[in-house]
Amino acid sequence: MSSTDVPYGARHAVTAIVVAHDGARWLADTVAAVMRQSRPVDRLVGVDNGSRDGGGRVLEEALGQGNVLALPRSTGFGEAVGEVLERLPAARAPGVVEWVWLIHDDCAPDVRALEALLWAADHDPSAAVLGPKLRDWLDRRLLLEVGVTVDRTGRRDTGLEAREYDQGQHDGVHDTLSVSTAGMLIRRDVWDEVGGLDPALPVFRDDLDLCWRVRNAGHRVLNVSHAVAWHAEAATRRRRRITASDHHPRRLDRRNAMFVVMANLPFRALLWALVRNVVGSLFRTVLFMLAKQPANALDEISALGSVLAHPGRMLRARRARATGRKQNYPQIKRLLSPPGASYRRIVDMVQGFLSGAGPVDSSGRHHAAAERQEQDDGDELLVDAGVMQRVFGNPGVLLFLGLLAVTVAAERTLLGGDRLGGGALVPVIGGASDLWRLYTEGFHATGLGTDAWTPPYVAVIAVLSTVLFGKPWLAVTVLLLGCVPLAGVSAYLATRRMIPSAGARLWLAATYALMPVATGAIAAGRLGTAVVLVLLPVYAALATVLLAAEGRRSRRAAWGLGLLLAVGTAFAPLVYVLAAIIGVLGATAFGSARRGVGVSVGIALGVPLVLLFPWLAQIARHPGQILLEAGLHRPSLVDPRLPAADLLALSPGGPGMPPLWVTAGLIAAALGTLLIRRQRMVVAVCWGVAVFGVLVAILAGRATVTSIAGSEAAPAWPGVPLAFAATGMLVVVALTSHRLAEFRAAGGLRRIAAVLAAAVAFSTPVLAAGFWVYRGVTGPLRGDLPDAMPALAAAGSEDGERTLVLRSSEAGGLTYTVLRNRTPLMGETDLPAPGQARGRLAVAASGLASGRGGQDAAVLATYGVRFVVLVAPIDPAVTRALDSQPALARMSLTETTGVWRLASPLGRAWIADSAGTRTPVKVTRTPDGGLTAAVPAGPAGRTLVLAEPAGDWTATLGGATLARTTVDGWAQGFTLGTAAGTARIAYDDQWHAIWLWVQAGLVALVLVLAAPGSRADEAAPDYADPPPGEAAPAEPERPAGRRGRRAKRSEVAAR
Amino acid sequence: MKFLVENRFGMLLLVVISLLALYGVAHVTQPPETVTAAPQPKRVTVESVNTVCPDPGDSVVSAVAPGREGARGGAATVTALTAPGEKAGPAATLDQPGKLWQKKQAARTGPLIVAGDGAMAAGLEAAQTATATSGARRGLAGVRCVEPAAEAWFVGPGPAAAAEVTLYVANPDSAPASVEVAVYAGEGPVVGDHGFMVEPGEHRTVNLKDIAPSPLVMAVSVRTGSGRVASAVRAEMGEGRGVDWLPQAAAPAKSVVVPGIPGGGGRRELYVAAPGESDAVVQVKAITADGFYALKNRETVEVPAGSVATLDLSTGIGGQPAAIALTSETPIVAGMVITATGTRLDVAFSAGAAPIDLGSVVADNRSGKDTKSALILSAPGKAAKVSVQVLPAEGAAPAATEAEIPAARTEQIALPKVRGAFAVAVTPLPGSGPVYGGRVLDQRDGNGLLITAQPLAAGRTWALVPPLTDSPSTVLP
Repeated sequence: MSSTDVPYGARHAVTAIVVAHDGARWLADTVAAVMRQSRPVDRLVGVDNGSRDGGGRVLEEALGQGNVLALPRSTGFGEAVGEVLERLPAARAPGVVEWVWLIHDDCAPDVRALEALLWAADHDPSAAVLGPKLRDWLDRRLLLEVGVTVDRTGRRDTGLEAREYDQGQHDGVHDTLSVSTAGMLIRRDVWDEVGGLDPALPVFRDDLDLCWRVRNAGHRVLNVSHAVAWHAEAATRRRRRITASDHHPRRLDRRNAMFVVMANLPFRALLWALVRNVVGSLFRTVLFMLAKQPANALDEISALGSVLAHPGRMLRARRARATGRKQNYPQIKRLLSPPGASYRRIVDMVQGFLSGAGPVDSSGRHHAAAERQEQDDGDELLVDAGVMQRVFGNPGVLLFLGLLAVTVAAERTLLGGDRLGGGALVPVIGGASDLWRLYTEGFHATGLGTDAWTPPYVAVIAVLSTVLFGKPWLAVTVLLLGCVPLAGVSAYLATRRMIPSAGARLWLAATYALMPVATGAIAAGRLGTAVVLVLLPVYAALATVLLAAEGRRSRRAAWGLGLLLAVGTAFAPLVYVLAAIIGVLGATAFGSARRGVGVSVGIALGVPLVLLFPWLAQIARHPGQILLEAGLHRPSLVDPRLPAADLLALSPGGPGMPPLWVTAGLIAAALGTLLIRRQRMVVAVCWGVAVFGVLVAILAGRATVTSIAGSEAAPAWPGVPLAFAATGMLVVVALTSHRLAEFRAAGGLRRIAAVLAAAVAFSTPVLAAGFWVYRGVTGPLRGDLPDAMPALAAAGSEDGERTLVLRSSEAGGLTYTVLRNRTPLMGETDLPAPGQARGRLAVAASGLASGRGGQDAAVLATYGVRFVVLVAPIDPAVTRALDSQPALARMSLTETTGVWRLASPLGRAWIADSAGTRTPVKVTRTPDGGLTAAVPAGPAGRTLVLAEPAGDWTATLGGATLARTTVDGWAQGFTLGTAAGTARIAYDDQWHAIWLWVQAGLVALVLVLAAPGSRADEAAPDYADPPPGEAAPAEPERPAGRRGRRAKRSEVAAR
Repeated sequence: MKFLVENRFGMLLLVVISLLALYGVAHVTQPPETVTAAPQPKRVTVESVNTVCPDPGDSVVSAVAPGREGARGGAATVTALTAPGEKAGPAATLDQPGKLWQKKQAARTGPLIVAGDGAMAAGLEAAQTATATSGARRGLAGVRCVEPAAEAWFVGPGPAAAAEVTLYVANPDSAPASVEVAVYAGEGPVVGDHGFMVEPGEHRTVNLKDIAPSPLVMAVSVRTGSGRVASAVRAEMGEGRGVDWLPQAAAPAKSVVVPGIPGGGGRRELYVAAPGESDAVVQVKAITADGFYALKNRETVEVPAGSVATLDLSTGIGGQPAAIALTSETPIVAGMVITATGTRLDVAFSAGAAPIDLGSVVADNRSGKDTKSALILSAPGKAAKVSVQVLPAEGAAPAATEAEIPAARTEQIALPKVRGAFAVAVTPLPGSGPVYGGRVLDQRDGNGLLITAQPLAAGRTWALVPPLTDSPSTVLP
């Protein structure tokens, strides 16, 4: 027991100090509560910090004029208390322990609070600071604080969960790092010893600092839960303006938090805390920026800056707190928040999100009284349930699991292979870094080589693969093979605001996910359609918000829609055309009803154009490409004579189609909605979309297109427009489904009709799932695709050398492509090849395959071709023809692959002299992506030829830039002198790089603009002093407002 | 509009009408169900030809390039086969299209390469023919000089039936060739490792007795694992039984036509090999001037897997010029042994051949007092019509004649009388059915008839360019 401890059984003298500052609406209650104590206070003093709401008058009426001290408005709480105690000298009576009881004007102690505090003080003589359990002023059972601690970044931690009710679960007398100054009972001698509240901290964390100093002095700080006080937390809830400091409360709070923690930690712990604070603050600033809360970001960063910019202040503060700091740190360390707390918060957040509760505000809650959570559709939130039950009780999760099971069962043949590909999907090889390189490089040394723009979907897959451990195959597996469950969940979530009944949403989502378009897209490896299927419901949801919501929300939805539309367009450009037509129609229909809809639609349709600009321009030059999608365009994947009935049954043809009558139930149900008397407009709009989708599908399915990347001519696959049509039909049925319930309730014939209609509607998803599982995915997509590039040729080729691959096609004839060392990456096969180079190569390749002899092999050699590969099915005639070429030497021939080597290849670069003799040149790749060629000395008139299409290549030899020429009508040549040397060849792609940076910036900007922003009530804080006499405010306005908006939205949807 | 939307059945009507309209549009625009003709391969001119005459010693080597209209330039050369380093000058250079070049080579001449490019590549054809009227090698023995290839098939008598069966392999390319020789006998495939390397410019002979001493009949396949070789097989039947080269047989196929069987006396024996994994039941039909018919009691021949079967047709075709059409469920290779008449015999061989859709050229034909050449053309399907152009070694070429072969018939075409040696080019005319053919050259001496035969091989005038599409989907099956 230290010398300053209170002897057992000492008499207590308590001075209560009530500090008022614009708290008149609570003050009367507070003062009454203090005066009503079961253990009366010995002295009661009031301080009025210049209240403007008549708080001073209330105090004077209650306490008498002599007991109230009037101070200027800018006085802080600590200063005010210090001022009072200066005027009230300590009673030095022996055996009497003097206590000071600090009371905020918005903190009413319970009748027995003081008694309980003193009782605890009696039991623990080393306790110098005691605090009551704080509960909410309005919701009287809600726990606010049972002692407060901080972590090393100054994050306040009450140890309570959000909206935790007091059921005695935290009761008892606890050691704690600090207690609030609201209701704090502190020994007068200790107060004097530690110097009271720090005037440098006029508001926020002054209590923490005081308690920490008390602890450093070797005393204990206790929270006594038998003592209760009700606290309105007026300052932190911004019910009143803080005048003690001009700064924004948040900034002040952060600054003080960091300051107090860093001032009180011993040196070693300080260093670590410093690092964590700097990193943490910067991270939070970025998060705030992304959440479009620039004010908060500014607060965060300027709080950090303010702490770091005043080392002198910090040093002074540390010096003042030096005594006992290190000695008592082990005890204090126990009371700080454990480091694992932040991870627990993240886990809580994920759990909450999974159970549909929506993300918890993670940016740092000041107190436990979180805003009331939105009652979201009722069924979404199961309050008293375990995690498992919460997660698995969610219909969305169940839908996902159900569809996942169906998908796994149907795709049993695809899973587990080591190379996914086939149909429209090139084998997925490489890593995320390869995709990034493909997207960012200016010149693509693939195939014949091209400087065309990489399709932006490569960037999307690259982002996704980066997240998925750098594995593109995983990203493609998730997107393509998982498109059914993803589309289902996406449809389920997207219709949350649109369709009230969970049952109807489940039906809609399951039917949508199992459409013939989905099974067809998987069977044929159509990654583009799979992605669009997942995005389409999101488009619908965002478009509804865009058209129906007010200002900011509508605009935000527009940016989000624009971004996602850009993603969808990158995969399947036809989406943009469909969305644009529907969007323009929607804007003209709703534009007059609501201000700003036109601008929002403009944003949504403009963003994809800007984000995808150079690639879209490339596409627009060949309008047929709009009908195609990511991946290969092959005649075997489409039905060239797609019957009319198929189109009307939403079946796009090609592999993986269920029988037509599977979708008959959906169409019958959609036709049935036309007979319903109500919601005529919705039905008309949805049917309009459906008819429009089918019309576009007919046009697309009848148009014969050839890909610019090279393909046989074939009609486009009408999957995307049919998905639009299906969406229209599904929404119309789901929106009117509640009529079924009404019919059922009506009984009799109507009841039978309702049951029948439901059975018809449900037949589609059930049959579709059954058929899919029964048949399995047999289509051209395979999980174990063989590599078209023989290892022999891959190993034998030098960097950049080409391999000509020939294959007999189903239509008769041959197809060919040019590879370099490996199977192409996804996206490389979508790059258009330069026409000149292609034409000449095609002539040589066909000559080679005909066996006519001649210069064909020599022409191939000028293309840097080293190997000619024939892949299965092997046509003996072609084998013979290739065998008959003296310039080719066969290396191997099996039933699946034949490999021939050019007898005299030239490699990637060669020198042509004026006589036409060609000599290979050794080429090496430099680390920066350029090339060097060793040029020997020779006669004048030589040309160094790089077997790449002529373009922005530059070459220097001995410091001089070589003149550019075009060789053979396509290849890049450089005029050589007579001297030997090393030629450095590079591709000049600075514009490409600049645009990529611009594009990245634009994407980031759109992301920020589309991200869910700050809450409306935070954005416009109620700084205004409340009008005098106003009653305690009701619940925040916002939930009511949101509910109102939702009601309006469903009205719009129902119209 | 509003009425339609508000009215209960109005909208239904509207939607149904639009759906019907969509159905109509989709139905009308549906492409007709014509089977789009598979893209036809294009004909292009052959630009270079490279053939090897396997053993021209003591033989007459003939070479001719009929040329084609409008083609200029280019030359054909006759060079000795040498290793790549040591360059030998051409023994002869041909630069006149349509002019037959013939020269008797000295004994012990190594393989000769007859190569042409440009106009002199079009249809370049070379052959070597040896004539001996006495000795163990008495007989006419001719063979077409072939291009190096990765696979060659020969069907003929085995070492047990003949005095000597020799395989000639030459590699005129710049890459080494690894050669695998497989022998199929009447009892089944001959097991053993018969592989060897042939370096560029190298040639080698293999006595097949060393590989398979016992077969009476055999089929030989010469394959290369890498590289290419020109291969040929000579069968010496023994004293008084003749000698000849085996022509290359068409690669195993389910339908084979053995053309060019001369009329007259002598033995005609068909050899059929089934080199695959399963037994073959081969339907045999003869195409003669009388028609296309199955032979009585010899309708089918059963060939166990990996073996060679024989079928004597001497009486079946009744001494008429004929072709034999074989069909089977499994791929087969076929050859024919033709024996001439006389006190001392000579032998000739024919083999399964491809139709001469793009024309064919035979380099070595002779006409003289005792010597005559005959073309035997067969049209197993539609009636055929060909133009026959004679290209003499000396003098101007006579005008081309046309010949017609009725459907499912074989005709012996009389060749115009030309002095001395001449080449002949046979080109099917447009609208003609498929034509198979053979050329028979015989020479009468005191002891009987010397004979050699050669099935018409597809000429090297034209090559078929398959339609080629640039498509990245080539990487996918």
